[in-house]
Amino acid sequence: MTAMNGLETGLEIAAAIREGRLSAVEAAQAALAVIDTHDANIHAFTEVTRERALAEAKAIDMARAAGRELPPLAGVPYAAKNLFDIAGLKTLAGSKINRDRAPAIEDSALVARMRGAGAVLLGALNMDEYAFGFTTENTHYGTARNPHDLSRVAGGSSGGSAAAVAAGMVPITLGTDTNGSIRVPSSLCGIFGIKPTYGRLSRRGAYLFAASLDHVGPFARSSADLAATYDALQGPDSGDHAQARRAIEPTMGLLRQGKGDLRVAVAGGYFKQNAGPQALAALDAVARALNVEREVVIPEAQRARAAAFVITAAEGSNLHLPDLRARPDDFDPMIRDRFLANALTPAAWYVQAQRFRLWYYQAVMKLFEDTDIILAPATPVPATGIGVETFELNGAQVPARPSMGLLTQPLSFIGLPIVTVPLHGLGTMPIGVQVIARPWREADALRIAQELELAGVASAPVAKL
Amino acid sequence: MTPEQIANYVDAASAALELNLKPGHRPGVLENFARLAQLAAVVNAFPLTPEDEPAPLWSPGGSPAASPNGKPGA
Repeated sequence: MTAMNGLETGLEIAAAIREGRLSAVEAAQAALAVIDTHDANIHAFTEVTRERALAEAKAIDMARAAGRELPPLAGVPYAAKNLFDIAGLKTLAGSKINRDRAPAIEDSALVARMRGAGAVLLGALNMDEYAFGFTTENTHYGTARNPHDLSRVAGGSSGGSAAAVAAGMVPITLGTDTNGSIRVPSSLCGIFGIKPTYGRLSRRGAYLFAASLDHVGPFARSSADLAATYDALQGPDSGDHAQARRAIEPTMGLLRQGKGDLRVAVAGGYFKQNAGPQALAALDAVARALNVEREVVIPEAQRARAAAFVITAAEGSNLHLPDLRARPDDFDPMIRDRFLANALTPAAWYVQAQRFRLWYYQAVMKLFEDTDIILAPATPVPATGIGVETFELNGAQVPARPSMGLLTQPLSFIGLPIVTVPLHGLGTMPIGVQVIARPWREADALRIAQELELAGVASAPVAKL
Repeated sequence: MTPEQIANYVDAASAALELNLKPGHRPGVLENFARLAQLAAVVNAFPLTPEDEPAPLWSPGGSPAASPNGKPGA
C-alpha cells in the first residue's frame, strides 16, 4: 500500500493508528483508492462496502481520540469471501441464484469477530460458484486474475480473497477451504494462508459447500498478520454445530519460538510424485532452510483424495438439489453438469468414503506419534493461464482445474491444521508449501512459517501492478 | 462401470430423484459421473472391516468435545 508510506502489513497499520501516525479513516481511504485503481482489472471484489468501511474506521478514530484502548486489529482494512454473511448484503456464494435471497440480517461469526478486533470491512470477494472450483473462473462475476500476472488464474475457490491480498488492496482477507480453497489460491498468488483444524473456528453465517469438510480461515502477507488474525477469529459460538468445544489457544506469543524442538519431516511418495519441478524446488528450499532430511510417506494419500472427491460430490450436490431440479440453467456452466452428476452419487460410495476416512485418519495419526510437522507442496504447479484446460505433470497432460487440488485434498479430508507459506523467485510465478501440523496444533505450523519468513525463504511481496 | 452402465444408472437415478436432465446437460453429466465412478472405484477397492465406522460423530447435547488428540469432522 504505497499510499500509506510503506505500511504493508495489518499489524504495521494497526501500530501506526495506535501511535497516531495514521488515522483509521486514512487507512480505509488508502485501501479504497487501491481497490478503485486496480480492481477493474483483477475482479477480486464483488461488492465494496465503502460506507461501512468509513463508518467503522471513524468509530476507531473516535475511540482513540477518547483515550480508549484499541483492539488488536484496530483500523486494519480487510475483506471477506462473498459466502460470509455481511449484514445488509446478499450472500452470493459466487452464484446468480443467491441474488434471489434476502440480504443477511447479521454478520457471520468471523466477520463479527473481525469487527470486535477493530478491523474495518472493505467488501465481499469473488469466488468459484458455491466454492466448487480451484480457479475462480466465475461466469457471473468474472475471473479473479492473478495480480502477479493478469493472464493467469488466482486459484480458488477463495480466489478473490488471495488476489485482493496479493494486489495490496487489503492486508488481510477471509476465505474457506473444503478441499484446498485457502491453500491453492495462497500458493498461486504467493501469500500466506491458514486452514485451521476442522471445528476450530465457527462457520456460522458462512454458506456451506460440503459440511463435513468445510473450514474457514484467513489470508495475509506475513506470518504475524496471519497469527494475529487467526487469534482474533478464535472463540466459541453456538451457531456452528461442528465447532469443537475448545478454549482459545493464542499463537502470537509463540511465533518467536520458530522451529525449536519441533520434529519436522518432508512428505514423500504421492506428494512428490504429483509435484512439478517448481513445487519440488520450493519444498526442497523449505526443507533445507529448516535443516530437514527425514521423509515420511502418508499412506493411501491417493485414495484419500478420491474419497474427499466422493464426499464433496454427495454433500455439495445435496445442498443444491432443489435448485438443480428447478433451475439448472441458472448455475454457472463451469460447474452445472458436475453438480448434476454428483447429485446421483450412490449412498454406498459416500458411506464407504466416510468409513475409509476414519481408517486413514488413524493411519496418519500414527505418523504424528514421532513427527510434529510434515511439509508438502501446496499445488503441483504455479498459476496456469486463464481458460487453460490441462497442464503437464510427470510427462502426462492432466485436467488443470481439478488437479490443482491433488496435494491439498488428502489433508483437509481429515481436518489437519495447515499453513501455506509462499516462495517467490523460483520461477516467474510464486508457489506455496504446506506446513502441516497435528490436530489443534496451529501454533506449530505458524512457528515454522515465521521461521521461514525470518530466514527470507518465505515472503509475500505486493504484486507490481 | 462401463459407459452403458453409467448411462443406464444416470438415467434411472435422475428419474428417481426427479432431476430432469435436459438433452444439453446429459453428455456433461455422463462425463462427470464417469470421472466420479472412477474415483469411487479407488475408494471402494479398499478393504474395510466391520469395525471401520464412518468418520463423522454425532454428539447429542452439543457440539463435539475434541479429545487431546483431536477427532475428525462431525
